Amino acid sequence: MPLALQAKGITKTYGGVKALTEVDIDVRAGEVMCLAGANGSGKSTLIKIISGVETADAGHIEMDGVDVGRPSVTDSIDLGIQVIYQDMSLFPNLTVAENIAMSARVKARSKVVRVQAARSIAARVVERLGLQLSLDEKVENISVADRQLVAICRALALDVKVLFMDEPTTALTWREIDSLSRVVEQLKADGVAIVFVSHKTEEVFMMSDRITVLRNGAVVKSGAAAEFTPDTLIESLLGYLPSEERQLSALPVEDKAPALEVHEIGRNDLFEGVSFEVGAGEIVGLTGLLGSGRSEIAESIFGILPIDTGEIRVAGQAKPIGSVQEGIEAGIGYVPEDRLTQGVILEQSIESNLIAASLDKVSGRGGFLDSGQMARASQHAVEKLGIKTDNPANPVSSLSGGNQQRVVLGKWMETEPSVLILNGPTVGVDAGSKAVILDILRLTAEQGTGILMISDDVPELVSVCHRVLFVRRGRMDGALEMDEVSPERIRERLDR
Amino acid sequence: MSIDTGRQASRSVEQATPPWALAVKRNGSTFGLLSLALVLAMAFSAINPDSYATLLNVESIAFSIPEVGLMALAISVAMTIAGIDLSTVAVANLTAIFIAWYSRVGVEQGQGQLTATLIAVAGGLLIGVLCGLLNGLVIAKLKVAPILTTLATMQIFTGVAVAITRGEAAYGVTDPLSSFGYNSLLGVPIVFWLFGVVVVAVWLLMTKTKYGVSSTMMGASRTAAEYSGIAYTWVVTRTYVLAGLISAVAGLVLVSRTASASAGYGSSYLMLAITIAVLGGANPFGGRVAVVGAALAAIVLQLIASGLNMMGVSTYIYQIVQGLILVGVFVVAFERKRVSEAISRRRRRANAQTSQTNQQKEHQK
Amino acid sequence: MKAYTRRSRGARLRVHEIWDRYKGENHETALLLLILALLGVMAIVEPSALTMTFVGDIIRSGIVTLALALGLLLVIISGGMDVSFPAIAIFSGYATITVMNFFGVDGALWPFLLASIMGIALGSLNALFVARYRMETLIASLGTQVIIRGVLLAFIGSVYISTLPAQLDAIGASSIMRLGNSPVNILVLPVIALAFLVSWMLRKTMFGRSIYAIGGDRESARRVGIRVPSVQVRIYLIAGALAGFAGMVHVVLSRHASPFELVGTELNVIAAVVIGGALDSGGRGSVKGTVYGVLLISLVQNSLVRLGVSSYWHVLVVGVVVLVGVAIQAQASSREAKTTRILESTEASA
Repeated sequence: MPLALQAKGITKTYGGVKALTEVDIDVRAGEVMCLAGANGSGKSTLIKIISGVETADAGHIEMDGVDVGRPSVTDSIDLGIQVIYQDMSLFPNLTVAENIAMSARVKARSKVVRVQAARSIAARVVERLGLQLSLDEKVENISVADRQLVAICRALALDVKVLFMDEPTTALTWREIDSLSRVVEQLKADGVAIVFVSHKTEEVFMMSDRITVLRNGAVVKSGAAAEFTPDTLIESLLGYLPSEERQLSALPVEDKAPALEVHEIGRNDLFEGVSFEVGAGEIVGLTGLLGSGRSEIAESIFGILPIDTGEIRVAGQAKPIGSVQEGIEAGIGYVPEDRLTQGVILEQSIESNLIAASLDKVSGRGGFLDSGQMARASQHAVEKLGIKTDNPANPVSSLSGGNQQRVVLGKWMETEPSVLILNGPTVGVDAGSKAVILDILRLTAEQGTGILMISDDVPELVSVCHRVLFVRRGRMDGALEMDEVSPERIRERLDR
Repeated sequence: MSIDTGRQASRSVEQATPPWALAVKRNGSTFGLLSLALVLAMAFSAINPDSYATLLNVESIAFSIPEVGLMALAISVAMTIAGIDLSTVAVANLTAIFIAWYSRVGVEQGQGQLTATLIAVAGGLLIGVLCGLLNGLVIAKLKVAPILTTLATMQIFTGVAVAITRGEAAYGVTDPLSSFGYNSLLGVPIVFWLFGVVVVAVWLLMTKTKYGVSSTMMGASRTAAEYSGIAYTWVVTRTYVLAGLISAVAGLVLVSRTASASAGYGSSYLMLAITIAVLGGANPFGGRVAVVGAALAAIVLQLIASGLNMMGVSTYIYQIVQGLILVGVFVVAFERKRVSEAISRRRRRANAQTSQTNQQKEHQK
Repeated sequence: MKAYTRRSRGARLRVHEIWDRYKGENHETALLLLILALLGVMAIVEPSALTMTFVGDIIRSGIVTLALALGLLLVIISGGMDVSFPAIAIFSGYATITVMNFFGVDGALWPFLLASIMGIALGSLNALFVARYRMETLIASLGTQVIIRGVLLAFIGSVYISTLPAQLDAIGASSIMRLGNSPVNILVLPVIALAFLVSWMLRKTMFGRSIYAIGGDRESARRVGIRVPSVQVRIYLIAGALAGFAGMVHVVLSRHASPFELVGTELNVIAAVVIGGALDSGGRGSVKGTVYGVLLISLVQNSLVRLGVSSYWHVLVVGVVVLVGVAIQAQASSREAKTTRILESTEASA
């Protein structure tokens, strides 16, 4: 099979941080090449460079053996490169049909467009994929899973030569993934080169013919899928083999009131009848697919999306939680899902970020901040969490992902919460930081804090959680108690 | 290994830099504005040696700075939270009209000069607070964009002023106010002293208090600030109340200085105030405190205004200059960033090449 | 009691459904109802005012606002804001008359073309600062507003021109028909034609859809291959042309040229567009809504006159109407920005 696309010597630096170092990848017509890598390994950056969204500092692209330099977005579309982006990159204000037809229109250099034409383009793709989508609905009104399907449809509305799929299945159910894999087979037969990006090992083996592993912005291993086993794949992804062994923190001996009790809580359209407990000193995992409601439940308990029904008790006391301020007052801390937009204020100093949630604590008379106390508080957090910086006055943007996440964690440690909720606490974090963060969680739990951890990282759930709860489509869907928790059982339930 | 030595080297370079140079680096825009002011002052003095650098002119410049400087400060404060306050001039005028009106009514009703003054000033400042409260609540609670809100309230406040004055100017202030507006203390106009006090107070508020730090965080990233428990409504409302209060002080200064007030006064001030705020370092996208910068920029703009005025240049030309400064600030910042990025990219490429050749050499060994 | 509550809930649900079907994409129907309600109030309070003359007055005062609003609409849908269009309009209108007087030439059609070309040239300033230097659009247009106005007053002229060249003056005096005592000027026709043209452009051309795409998500637009800066440049050039044309319409209709007019009316135009359903954060808006918005503002202003409200109160009343209208739109759109539903409807699960 001929090589469809080659990227050679791609190098990219952001600020001072090297995102990609002389990366070479290639993909043949009619094969699925899996680009595997942990979060933050540079997969998305590489794709954006090939699609022209970002410009590389060095390196070039070859299509069918011809050097095309560093293509712009339109160049790459004209060359037949299509990308399903991780964030979907849709237009919320336009209809499903128009979203699907948009790239076809752009490529056709249309001047005048017809609604009917857009609908028929969209209908054709949707039918080909055997999907059901309401074409006239605006994208802002459809579910996350449907949006992902729209993004897939948009990429396939054109005759594509090389298709990049950046984590296209995060919100999809098994059935939908299954139909996607049939489409992939079809495309392969048509001679399309497919680059499939995923960090789910099952999917990687199911879909791909060949695997290229990216770690810290460099290719560390490349070969036929058959040369890999799940273990060797994970090892080359992370640089080590994470233990799926359980290393649980000690539970408190004496009976204390549960740190968090939620009873039959619900919020319109999002979730309902959710009840569970997190004991003082307990680490409870909460897992489900993207868009299952796992994040929304966490945000409701914290006060961002106040609940409509039900009751929340923190350390035995019923608390009305209608805002984040009330959540914090009740003794809840929340490490959010999206570190860059929700967790840290990038251009502000490490010190400011560390005290952001405890401004009341460090302010004295008349609302004036006590600079001594601020420095002590941030120093304390920097030391406790081992944040690698020579000056806490530097902006958070100067830190690596792992250290930024420690800053977010440190911010909430400073509030001394009764309940700490973490949403994907180690996403995009290097192995070292991950181990440190999980150790800190165990330590915090042993000091009596109840921890609720939302995660889809199975080894992580197994490693730290006393219990694991499942969410599906906005409702609780069973739990695994102490001894039942195992990687196989969690995967089995998630894939069901 | 090689990376570590590199970092040590750069650190020792930093240690070798004298402290004053570091201070300049850290407060680059402040020093830039100060030197700009000096250069302008010298240039205009050279052009008009007989009239520009005279005590009289310096004093007249000092008299003219506070009004528009305060309005710029109000806008700068709103920009800290990624907002804007287009109603500042209207608030100042409304305040000024109230003070002028009460100066007359209070004295007519037999109140002492001092009592009438105090009530007039307190009432005027209260008007500023209420106007700011309206802005803040509409923006925070009704979720109307700051541009639209303050554009509409600008018209509403002006509308109130037109309705109560029937479109005419109100004349006269109490004796204490007029001496406050005319006199100097230690050679510096009292209104300028007041300006200085407000600048220092706002600077303290924005940098040293819970409110100030919260609002800067809110401006830098609203989402992250809200996820840290900083209450959006609280910060936004307080910010616009603060902006309204500062605008009211501007109104107090203008009515004391001119002993008159009208709904249509200072219509060109809005643009000037925005230019000053931006030149002073305020970022329309939020997250930057620029209080001292705004004060210095106000001085720079008044130096230019006075200089151009002496050269007999029309006010229309001065407006063009203002517009050019406003867009120029962004164009210069953009080009500077582009050039420095190009340089660092070239340096990176050169480094990559040398490291490649080094590797090749090592291979050959 | 229980049955009663359930029934009332059902009824409300049905009203909601009907409303959802007919409210229009940007609440145009609500706006139309508001306009009718205002007319109803007028009919009760001052029935004698509701004459064809009144309609004619509304059309006449709305026509320049509409011409200005069309250009602004494009900018706002793309997620920007513009306050420079009145300056561009009056510059183009006044400068065209000045040029005609200077050379002693007259004409009927080409002056409108010249004004539009001047508008394009001035719009290119906005295009430069927004597309090339990525300035905040409000700040950029504030800057260009004072520069354009300053150049007009300093270099073109600052005197009131009381008589227009004969052919233009004839256009100003001509009418296609009379509504009561109010003549409807022939210039209504090109403005309506432009409204249809802009509406068609927004709905049926790739350029128009790109404007919505950029307003909806700029980065996504870039990723599907839409050349964002090039679309922005075209937006500001077209907005400039429309402003230039509107400036000429204003000058011809008022039958004099004053360089001090129009600037200061930006609020009314922005309000008309935003009340007409264009979201200030971009991605939404229509010509139909804008026309209703213009009608509403024009209706309010004319009603105040008819009701004999002292002119000193007009600024205040219009300001309040604008604030309320804008707030209602903001509330409606923030209510609609609902979170994506996860739960299936209760009936399906039960």
